Amino acid sequence: MEPARERELVDRCRREEPGAFEELIEQFKNLVFALIARTVPDRSRAEDLAQDVFLRVHRGLPYFRGEARLSTWLYRIVVNVCSQERSEQRSRAASRHMSLDDPDSRVAAPSTVDRRFSDFELRDRLEKAIEQLPAQYRLLIAGHYLQGLQYEDLAEAMKMPLGTVKTQLHRAKRQLRELLEGDLK
Amino acid sequence: MTSDAMCTALADDIDAIAVGELTPDAAAAAHLSTCAACRAELEEARRLDKLLRERPVPTPAPGFTSRTIQRIQKAGWRREQIVDWIFNSALIAAALLVAAGLWIALEHTGLSSLSRDALDIFAGGATTLAQKVTPSLPLYAGATGLLVVALGLWWWASDAAL
Repeated sequence: MEPARERELVDRCRREEPGAFEELIEQFKNLVFALIARTVPDRSRAEDLAQDVFLRVHRGLPYFRGEARLSTWLYRIVVNVCSQERSEQRSRAASRHMSLDDPDSRVAAPSTVDRRFSDFELRDRLEKAIEQLPAQYRLLIAGHYLQGLQYEDLAEAMKMPLGTVKTQLHRAKRQLRELLEGDLK
Repeated sequence: MTSDAMCTALADDIDAIAVGELTPDAAAAAHLSTCAACRAELEEARRLDKLLRERPVPTPAPGFTSRTIQRIQKAGWRREQIVDWIFNSALIAAALLVAAGLWIALEHTGLSSLSRDALDIFAGGATTLAQKVTPSLPLYAGATGLLVVALGLWWWASDAAL
């Protein structure tokens, strides 16, 4: 979305013009949901969190100064919502005395007998490997491989220098290759 | 640079090379053409990139926008209810304070006996008025009924005219 159109949409939302906020949701819902759903595996939880993002946007619009782009501000809210969810998950897991070394969540070692995985199996292993990544890397991978998100957007949303975003992304991919050892051959 | 050292140096750049963000220099390109391990790693990085690009994009369930708007409205109502509750509580508290202040003032200034007299006069006047009005109550009720019927007819006629 063009910056000028974004500003105009924000103004309309601030004036509480009928249908303006619906338009904002329509415009960004796919990106927001995809980002969250790629970092939070539970779909209904992902929808709740995506709604939280728009709820925060609605509350924050009167204070949005327009220095950053609306989309950047939105991604920043997504990053915050995901980090909050992560810390809540961690505390829930701690209260249940769950071990982080749960063997079920670990990527199984590739079988030496059957190394030829079908695409479906490979994708499934890829998803499991992504779940194994540190949360920051997971969010970077999710954002980078979604259409419309540039390195610059990620850097602004995550408050990181551009170079750090690129380095972390390459490290994330390297870690993924290590987790998928042999499956990509 | 030895071949092993070149392998180590390239390992950090393989993903950037795989996606075309980095072009290997002459030495790295020469190494890649001879080192099977680095070439395999580059292929793996390319395959991973392709797989990541092909990952299905999750989309929200239909009706997401309306559900979100409903949630926003509910949250707004809840906020308004809280504000209303605070406002009403403050109003009651203020009224109680005023009443208490008045009562204390009346007690301290000795005006309470005067106000009691004023209350007696008011109560006496109200009783006399009630005694005078009671016999005419059916008349007033009939007049009110007629007025309501007339207003109803007027409302019905103006509504039908539209």
